[in-house]
Amino acid sequence: MNSQIAAILTIDGIATGAIYVLIALGFVLIFVVTRIIFVPFGDITAFTALTLADLESKRLPGTVSMIVVLAAAAALMEAVALLRMGARERIPRALFYYLVLPLIPAAVVWLTAGMALAAPLRILLTVALILPLAPLLDRIVFRPIADGSVLLLLIVSVALHFALVGIGLLFFGPEGVRTQSLVDFSMEIAGTPVSGEAILIVASAAFFSFLLFLFFNFTLYGKALHATAMNRTGARLMGIRPHQSGTIAFLLGSLLAAVSGILIAPVNTIFYDSGFLIGLKAFVGAIIGGLVSFPVTAVGSIFVGILESFAAFQSSPFKEVIVFSILIPVLLWRSYSFVHSEEEDEE
Amino acid sequence: MRKLTLGVAALAGLCFVAPATAQDITVGFVTSLSGPASSIGLNYEKGINAAYAYQSEVDGHKINLVKLDDGSDPSAATQNARKLVQQNHVDIMIGTSSAPATNAMLTVANELKVPFVGVSPVNVKIPAEGHPWGISVPQTPSLMVKVIADRMKREGIKTTGFIGFTDSWGDLVYNGAKAAEQNGGPQVTSNERYTRTDTSVTAQALKVMATKPDALLDGGSATQAALPLLEMRKLGFKGNFYGTPALLNRDFVRIGGKAAEGVQVSAGPVIVTSQLPDSHFSKKIGTKFHEVFKKVNGSEADDGFSGYSFDGWLIFLNAAKVALKQAKPGTPEFHEALMQAIYSNKDIAGVHAVYNFTPKSYYGVDERSLVVVKLVDGKWMYQP
Amino acid sequence: MSPRAARTMTFAAVIALLAAPLYLAPFTITLLNYIGIYSLVALGLVLLTGVAGIVSFGQASFMGIAAYATAWTSALMGYSPWLGLVLAVIVTCAVAAVLGAVTLRLQGHFLSLSTIAWGLALYFTFGNIAGLGAYNGISSIPPVSIGTLPLVGSGQIFYLIWGVLLVSMLAAHNLLGSRVGRAMRALRGGNALVESLGVNALHIRLATFVIAALLAALSGWLIAHMGRFVSPTPFDVTMSIVFLMMAMVGGAGYLLGAVVGAALITLLKNWIQDVLPLVAPSTSGQLEIVVFSALFIVFLQRARDGIVPYVAQWLPEPKRERPPEAEPLSRRAQPEKGRVLMTVSAATRRFGGLVAVNDVSFDVRAGEILALIGPNGAGKTTMFNLITGALRASGGRIAFADEDITDASAYTIAAAGIARTFQHVKLRPKMSLLDNVLLGAYGRTHAGFLSGALRLDRTEERRARSEAMKQLDRVGLGERPYDLAGNLPLGNQRLLEIARALAADPILLILDEPAAGLRRQEKLALADLLRNLRTEGLTILLVEHDMDFVMGLVDRIVVMDFGCKLCEGVPHVVRADPRVQEAYLGGVT
Repeated sequence: MNSQIAAILTIDGIATGAIYVLIALGFVLIFVVTRIIFVPFGDITAFTALTLADLESKRLPGTVSMIVVLAAAAALMEAVALLRMGARERIPRALFYYLVLPLIPAAVVWLTAGMALAAPLRILLTVALILPLAPLLDRIVFRPIADGSVLLLLIVSVALHFALVGIGLLFFGPEGVRTQSLVDFSMEIAGTPVSGEAILIVASAAFFSFLLFLFFNFTLYGKALHATAMNRTGARLMGIRPHQSGTIAFLLGSLLAAVSGILIAPVNTIFYDSGFLIGLKAFVGAIIGGLVSFPVTAVGSIFVGILESFAAFQSSPFKEVIVFSILIPVLLWRSYSFVHSEEEDEE
Repeated sequence: MRKLTLGVAALAGLCFVAPATAQDITVGFVTSLSGPASSIGLNYEKGINAAYAYQSEVDGHKINLVKLDDGSDPSAATQNARKLVQQNHVDIMIGTSSAPATNAMLTVANELKVPFVGVSPVNVKIPAEGHPWGISVPQTPSLMVKVIADRMKREGIKTTGFIGFTDSWGDLVYNGAKAAEQNGGPQVTSNERYTRTDTSVTAQALKVMATKPDALLDGGSATQAALPLLEMRKLGFKGNFYGTPALLNRDFVRIGGKAAEGVQVSAGPVIVTSQLPDSHFSKKIGTKFHEVFKKVNGSEADDGFSGYSFDGWLIFLNAAKVALKQAKPGTPEFHEALMQAIYSNKDIAGVHAVYNFTPKSYYGVDERSLVVVKLVDGKWMYQP
Repeated sequence: MSPRAARTMTFAAVIALLAAPLYLAPFTITLLNYIGIYSLVALGLVLLTGVAGIVSFGQASFMGIAAYATAWTSALMGYSPWLGLVLAVIVTCAVAAVLGAVTLRLQGHFLSLSTIAWGLALYFTFGNIAGLGAYNGISSIPPVSIGTLPLVGSGQIFYLIWGVLLVSMLAAHNLLGSRVGRAMRALRGGNALVESLGVNALHIRLATFVIAALLAALSGWLIAHMGRFVSPTPFDVTMSIVFLMMAMVGGAGYLLGAVVGAALITLLKNWIQDVLPLVAPSTSGQLEIVVFSALFIVFLQRARDGIVPYVAQWLPEPKRERPPEAEPLSRRAQPEKGRVLMTVSAATRRFGGLVAVNDVSFDVRAGEILALIGPNGAGKTTMFNLITGALRASGGRIAFADEDITDASAYTIAAAGIARTFQHVKLRPKMSLLDNVLLGAYGRTHAGFLSGALRLDRTEERRARSEAMKQLDRVGLGERPYDLAGNLPLGNQRLLEIARALAADPILLILDEPAAGLRRQEKLALADLLRNLRTEGLTILLVEHDMDFVMGLVDRIVVMDFGCKLCEGVPHVVRADPRVQEAYLGGVT
């Protein structure tokens, strides 16, 4: 390996890692607020890419029917729950949030189906379509067991991933897609070619990470979320409803997944089931951050990307073995260097 | 422990079986409609649908077709095979979409003594005691690679890089290429692997570039086989691309775009039926196949896999004609007669090949079963 | 239901099962074979997850190691499948032991996540070893033969599979009722509890992990010789997750849950495969996994604990008799009264910049009740944790019975004869009173995993039970020994903790705020109990906040404030000390 190759590998790794950063941040965000390890994250990323590709080829994306079904189910569950509580007057409001709002982008996409849309418009529509996905899943799947153990939530999350993969195959078919390039230039940095796409990916990852930082530190909602993450009971006493912060966390998660999906769609072929491995690798990054720290997560994810790139060069058949084996020393380091509360693993 | 009773009682209720009408022939078909192999599996499914529409009775005996999904999992394929034989009482099984799962089904066929028509390319060594209960329709992977390696040699290629899937298909193609190398084919300079869900093959492509090969052999399959080609062209690789029938996929062409232009692959003649001379064995039946396929599935048959299902069906139909004279469907004697007929029938012309099976080999194809096709302007062109 | 009726029913069920190939359709037998094989893995998960609280997403890879080991031995090397079994078990257990030793120190979900990691890594490793057929796998694996009879057909290997499963279930059942089984069940109470009983928690966790891997290995051996073909795909993470689902659906805390869960999921999958094509002919293949996952999610939303406990609540409680008297367990020699038993010299503990215990020294003499008192935040509990080994001292020395225990682990300290109770009661709420007290006797008994599983421990077990009953009687809880500990009121829970500590036959009993939360009557009864224990020669160290409770009871008092020792002496002298009054009044205001 010479320095030229090392440079190319590093750049490739950073670009891949930047995608992982977005997903890993989403993992951490959702976990700290809701204690849910949201395994289907990668699937949402893949669905975004598939939706964008469908819009590009002037097809009606399967996401539309998916959202319609999920919104109807969520609205129904919410209405029944409110009826049982005897809070009939809150139903219209719930219907607005769970049914009308998610259906607006779906309706727009449905109406414009078959039309040739400009690329930025397509991207905007895709993001709007994907946004309600995670919050709706949260309402349908996780809300009824929100008080369960981390383990229960994890297992349900895994089952949800299986269901989504099946739904993905149903709605998008088994073939992979790759969308048109977002940017069409490349440049050389110190003699190493760098594609415009790589730059765009890294820039977007940096931008959205920064946005997240601003959100947490300077907005009321962000602070509320932070408070919930720190102390659930305390937050409730302060009048922050955990459901609400959960929904916001999932909404942000959806956004991060959508952005990563948009970015990855032109650089790689995405299948209905591509999300799992992408998600898992991002997850390694999230674990390096201990599922707590956002900055360490970002650094960890970039590290995973670079490691993957070099591992692929050294011994491509064992690439996954190398990437996932790194988790074990990382976990050991975390378990020795951070004190866990003893109460955590009790029933 | 005492609660075991409940479980046993619950299980006891599950042993009902729906019997097929006597005299009907029952065929079991397994493919992957979900999981990683589903992209190929759906083509097999479409092929069998076309086949069933082509002919669904033999000499007045109706054929029942039972289809199951194995989710790309060999152990599910095993379970499906047992289910087909033990519950649906099939007379013959056809399947499935991946090499390990096909091997797994073959094991069951041998145990339960039911003929099995494998539609996936697999590499099986016939053990000493023989494999009397199964055959494989497709060309052997080594033949697929050999034909393309011969073409490389003819075009003066001395060395070739290899990038393939991290799975059984990648193994088969690589081993085929190594075998061809032993027999004077181009020297294989690299063995790089990637998975279908990988986000990048830059590293692998760089490594292949470093070995400076004349050409690249692509051991991927379906859509994602385009990834190494795109990457190699991006890195400035000028050599030719070669591949196997696994690249014959609409989305491969779409995604490969300019980079995939000019790639040459070995392929069953069914891919280029309309370009074949009228004298070719596959011309007539192939034309019929394309016609029925379009009617049933509403799209063109532009892959090789559906043709394997169709040929498997033809082999079965021909064998059934003979076997029906000797035994009644649904009996062990009929299974035996079917298998013997498969071995004794000669020169069955299918859309892919002219089949001659013997108990000594799992395969019944020869080099007539493969032609070389080249991607020109997004169309596969016959290269005599 | 009487034990006899239960035995009869179990016997009838086993007979019905053995005769199954005679009256069930062949495919039902095939399904039963899969259920049996999957149940073995799920059984391991019940022990690992349900009992010991360790969630593993890697069981399928253990199954894979075993399947590959036996495939290599029998198909590639040509040896007997029975040799394959030996090799499969050895290799799998060795891998599990190494992985366990590395990862079992992790906590909670981090541990689970690491199992995903090595589960994936092992899968890709199988696929890349050319000698093992890479992704194509190994075919032509010979069937298992008993004598000269090869077990080829579904109806033949059925007996092998269910035989192995029934024996494993029986062994697991025996194990859970034994000494180490109770320690396994205690693991979920947290390390502090387990180690305080003299149990090396890591050791028990590791052993449980290896046992679960062993069960997966048996299952892998069986599936290799049943399918007679191995490839990496059936052993990937997805399958591990399915096993976990089986255990959870059946009821992860119950041995039978493994079989019920495996049966339910296998049958459900088969049923969905049969029914879906009728409902949705064109998309049935893709819908299968969706319907299956959706049903699973709904199930977990409605019945988290699984089917077995749900059904069991409708069944009558088994009647159990009070354990009979037996020869008492051997006792420790109690030290001579008045001798110095424990010396704390200049003990110090810092947390970052904060000094929680600062240069504290005192002695405990045999046969006395010594109280360590002080206002809130005085450092009493930290001192307590230093003595019991829950925390390491930053400086100073603690000696017990002439041994230095400053840096000893909690379980060695417990084994040396110091028994403790907890300020926030730590009991196993789902275990009976008797079992909770039996936990205390762990250090006085010796039966290991093997003798527990094979029931070679019965004599010792009878003696331990008799001892536990004696302690229950002594604290006044001997009436209903089979009630669940979680159903007791707080006062009685404290007494139960004391009974558990006494079952260890300690030399020194350390009680952490035993009077907290007790009513006046209960406090008086507790004081009486402690006096009686002193009369019997037991040494007691009491960490207490409640001055009134301490005054009439103890022989000497050590007062702490702001991490330092304030004074030491007999109760009325200490009470009169102005510094103590100020500390306490200061604490109040």
